[in-house]
Amino acid sequence: MKNRIRVLRAEHEMTQEQLAELVGVTRNTIISMEKNKYCPSLKLGYRIAHVFGVGIDDVFTYEESVDGPSADEE
Amino acid sequence: MKRFTYLVCSLIVACMVAAMVGWSMAAGNFLVPVIAIPLGIIVVLACRAHVDVVIADEREKRIRSKAALRTLEVVVIVGAIAAIILYSYVMSIPLAPIITGKLFINDDGTQSMTIAEYKPGSVPGPETLVRSTTIRDLNAMNETDAITYCTYVREGFSENENRGLAGMTIGICLLALLATFGAFYLYYDRKY
Repeated sequence: MKNRIRVLRAEHEMTQEQLAELVGVTRNTIISMEKNKYCPSLKLGYRIAHVFGVGIDDVFTYEESVDGPSADEE
Repeated sequence: MKRFTYLVCSLIVACMVAAMVGWSMAAGNFLVPVIAIPLGIIVVLACRAHVDVVIADEREKRIRSKAALRTLEVVVIVGAIAAIILYSYVMSIPLAPIITGKLFINDDGTQSMTIAEYKPGSVPGPETLVRSTTIRDLNAMNETDAITYCTYVREGFSENENRGLAGMTIGICLLALLATFGAFYLYYDRKY
């Protein structure tokens, strides 16, 4: 799963800490997502999209090759 | 309150509660745990309410769940191997000490018996002898001699029995662990 969190954050002039606080996770989670190391839950995905005021498709793109570890993977 | 402060507070409270429960058990005062445990829970919950950062982070939950599962797998595999090895000291004949008894006719016509213990899995001989004892007169064997003989044999097997007991304890703990895991698995399986 590829994401545009870093780009959207820059557009909204938002720090990782601020985004983390708004979506109710730690900064580490945001860092891991931006590095494509962690695939968030659907709920968190929607929360992030909601914070940026865009659809979930504008934040996350499914790509087989760049898939980070998710709930059902190692 | 920072998350780290909350964790330190929880640790201190847990230590204090454990110390109080331990002391009360030793002193025979069973009222202390009844007060200390709920009080400890209240203090921890109060601290948690004052934490100003996220506690239930989904990434950490997933990390913990995976770490717990891997821990369970490693503990079960290593524990099962250890339990089998330790318990085999009770079951296995080659791992048990060799105890022999030799009957002798004394000069005065009485019978004596020399009981000797040899190293496990060895050929009985002077090099492999661990210890030996002699019952001077078998026909005049009294209760003290019988107790000495029983203690002697029991001591020979005590090390193996202790290992077997440790193996059995590990096995029971593993079964309890797996049963708890199974119970929680069924619970969450039904919940989700």
